[in-house]
Amino acid sequence: MSVTRLIARDELRLMMRNRVAVIAFVLLALLTLVAVASSWSHQRGIAELRARHAQAADAAFDAQPDRHPHRVVHYGTFIFRPLGPLAAFDPGVDAFTGNSMFLEGHRQNSANFGDARQSSLLVRFGQLTPAFVLQVVAPLLLIFLGYGALSREIERGTLRLLMLQGASRGQVVGGKLLALGIVALLAGMPAMVGFVLIAGKPGALALPMLAIASGYFLYLALWTIAIILVSALVRRSRDALLTLVALWTFAVVLVPRVAPDVASAAVPLQDRLQTDVAIARDLRKLGDSHNPDDPHFAKFRQSVLDRYGVSRVEDLPVNYKGVLGIEGERLTSSLFDRYSRESYAAQTRQNALVGVAGLISPAIAIRSLSMAAAGTDFAGHRRFLEQAEAYRYGLVQRLNKLQADDVRYADDIAEDAGADRRKRVAADNWTEQPDFTFTAPSGTALARGAVPGLAIILSWLAAAAVLLLMATRRLGVRR
Amino acid sequence: MSLVAHELRLLSRQRLTIVALALLTLVTVAALAAGMTEVARQRAAIADIAAAQAEDIDAIAAWVDKSKDAGSAAYYSFHPTWDAPAPLAFATLGMRDVSPYILRVRALGLEAQIYDGDTFNPELALPGRFDFAFVLVFLAPLFVIALFHDLVAGEREAGRARALDALPKGGRALWRRRTLLRLGLLWLVLAAPFACAALSEGVAIVVIAIVLALIAAYLLFWIALAALVGRLRWSSVANAATLAAAWMVLVLIVPTLANVAINQAIPVNQGAEIALAQREAVNRAWDIPREDTMRRFYANHPQWGDSAPLGTEFHYKWYFAFHQNGDESVSDQVRDYRGGLERRAAAGRALGWALPSVGVQALLTRLADSDLTGQLAYQDCIRDFHARLRTFYYGYLFHDRMFGTTDFASAPKFEHTPCTHKRIRATGAASLNLSAKTALDPPDLAQVDGVADQQRVASALNDYRQPARRRAARYRQIEPFFGTFNWAVRQNSAVGADNFDGRPGRAAHMHLQSDRAAGR
Repeated sequence: MSVTRLIARDELRLMMRNRVAVIAFVLLALLTLVAVASSWSHQRGIAELRARHAQAADAAFDAQPDRHPHRVVHYGTFIFRPLGPLAAFDPGVDAFTGNSMFLEGHRQNSANFGDARQSSLLVRFGQLTPAFVLQVVAPLLLIFLGYGALSREIERGTLRLLMLQGASRGQVVGGKLLALGIVALLAGMPAMVGFVLIAGKPGALALPMLAIASGYFLYLALWTIAIILVSALVRRSRDALLTLVALWTFAVVLVPRVAPDVASAAVPLQDRLQTDVAIARDLRKLGDSHNPDDPHFAKFRQSVLDRYGVSRVEDLPVNYKGVLGIEGERLTSSLFDRYSRESYAAQTRQNALVGVAGLISPAIAIRSLSMAAAGTDFAGHRRFLEQAEAYRYGLVQRLNKLQADDVRYADDIAEDAGADRRKRVAADNWTEQPDFTFTAPSGTALARGAVPGLAIILSWLAAAAVLLLMATRRLGVRR
Repeated sequence: MSLVAHELRLLSRQRLTIVALALLTLVTVAALAAGMTEVARQRAAIADIAAAQAEDIDAIAAWVDKSKDAGSAAYYSFHPTWDAPAPLAFATLGMRDVSPYILRVRALGLEAQIYDGDTFNPELALPGRFDFAFVLVFLAPLFVIALFHDLVAGEREAGRARALDALPKGGRALWRRRTLLRLGLLWLVLAAPFACAALSEGVAIVVIAIVLALIAAYLLFWIALAALVGRLRWSSVANAATLAAAWMVLVLIVPTLANVAINQAIPVNQGAEIALAQREAVNRAWDIPREDTMRRFYANHPQWGDSAPLGTEFHYKWYFAFHQNGDESVSDQVRDYRGGLERRAAAGRALGWALPSVGVQALLTRLADSDLTGQLAYQDCIRDFHARLRTFYYGYLFHDRMFGTTDFASAPKFEHTPCTHKRIRATGAASLNLSAKTALDPPDLAQVDGVADQQRVASALNDYRQPARRRAARYRQIEPFFGTFNWAVRQNSAVGADNFDGRPGRAAHMHLQSDRAAGR
């Protein structure tokens, strides 16, 4: 057997003799299983609940009696955010973004009833998912198993013995690397098996799954190389352990918390009150629908009259109130779009700042990779919000058009006792409105979102490998 | 030289200890600064409400004044509510970054408004905030491990353990001395920056004392754990590995497992059902006879039963009546939902008795009123305010009174509600009341009449000022030492009425003046 393989086998045997290490490894496997099981059942429960609520909301919308279309604009509809198949592996921001949204005319509402606002304080300690176990717990286990790989040899003088026996420095380091790499593979195996089981439904997207699998593989490889590197550089085992735990704390616990704080301080977000007030202010400038002498609406009325070639609103072949509703919704929605685009741009800038922090902490890079490929990052949430807004606008304008075409203007402004009955349109109009369906992103789009994180981890891996090569050359040299 | 000074000198020669203490100081100061910046930003956002609200309501008043229609005023006016950060919030931001601390409500059905959220970046909220609670709960134990893993084992490995045991004043006394010294240094590094920041933020002395005791207790727990592991007589490396593993289990793994267990055991799914049911009830009113709506409303609110009967044309009192009916029709589900949330919060806190990390976090968030209970208390204040708003507008709608520009100025203001004053007093004086009184019980209508009167406002402000005056006296004693911080905090809270140094803010002055000018 080659020297490298001999050394690796010996290192593995030593690890197995370390009872604490074996127990820790078994516990990690158990933890991963629990994480996979709970995550899978939780996501299934959520998917079922949201599907049930969505069905109830659609049924309620279709079951409406004869109503005035503008009443239906205010009746609105509830939509429920669906989860992609990979969300069971990494739910990302799902707990923080609301589950249901109320779509109505004139207003843009927030997504409500997210898990984070409905759970105890424990939810902010982290979420038990396979992604969490791989990103946070597995590296610490590898540290416990591998911190002494080279420093122990240097401490006890056995490195010199190995080299006397003819093993080169490269072979020694290679052997240790191989041993720890096998352990890393075994540590990541339960999570990856769980991942394939959770997400391996027919029709599941292959490219994002590949991105996630390769991303975690590279991440654990990076930790393996980093652990061997520190073990080679530091002379005493105890210092190696403390240095590695400090590095882990810095990269996995500290920087992911500090970077968002810095980002949110650097790029402030406008809160909802200020946005609503600003939208109202801009709307008044564009066209004040309450003001009968408003120039914009006066011009609009004249243009409608001209289009149909009549001189009075009552003579129009369409209901002027419906036409006015279409124009009003168009104005307000254009403002909503502008302000929400600004808000999304600010949030994207904040996330880019955090991504820059990925240059000092690969944990941030793997987290963004994992969330992007699973479709559960901010970009994924934004996709849902934009589709919801497009659906809302389409629905409201269809209802306004219904008011313009199917309700007579004379009936609409009448105030007598029977006017309410005359203003209504038939209930089968509601079943004709299409339900909200979320167009899931393609595998390529998801994988493209994962590329920046993957690039950062690859560069980290390359840097660590180069450093390890340099350290190998100087292994055991008396300083 | 005293023995303690000698031990200190020995300690100063250990590079690991010095580096660890320096790092912990740096991280503590950074976390406190980050927390204070965030709280100042939230206070500034609250202070900015007044100007934005004035602009918005003036525009509405301008066109409502032409028709003097109370219904239009009630429909289009949005009223701001806010949840000012408690003095201790800089140390534990808790849920304040994901739950809204500003919410605008109008007199329509509250159940459709109260669950709305604010704008925040979910990816930034996901890892949690970098505040003092994080440093204490997550990072301080690692520094304890760094200082204590080789306390005895290191001496044993260096071969000095027997010699130390043989010394006069050696043995147990020596270990006690060393332990206390390290504990003291760690406590000092955490407590001193915290105490400075807390004094400058105006935290009550009692609360500061509780938190300092909490820091000492939490450090003692980890030191005890290190001592327990030390008794196994392993090498210092094995000690470090074991303690780090224990840290990971106690701080990272068990809380997440418990979260899954609690959420499974206490399902809380009523949120979407409440929204669906309330919308259905509200919109159904258009399809049933209007007299049914009014009958149901008068049955629950007989004080408005003397209103004129409805005509054939649209009347806003019918509109607001069915919105209130819609809210009342889901009150049972709302109660269940809230009960579920409170049970989850209580279960999380109960775990704190078993797990110190959770216990410290639970206590800190309770003292800072930034946990789920605090959020529910804020919602209670919103409900109370909404009830007063409705009563105010009903006075005009049901008695067919004109609603002009001056009536806009006399609408209820959130800062004047007794619920808000009670919360400010409670959080300022470190109430450890772990259960919030539910405001789903009808508010005491004897306190509320349709028109704000100067006496009521003045007495409410006085209620608010009394404890604040006591705080202000204490504040002024220490003020000269913390000039810059004070200035920054007061600049940020100067405009709001909920000042923490006893002066009612400019907004409160404005309302009193406008009341006086209106001759009431």
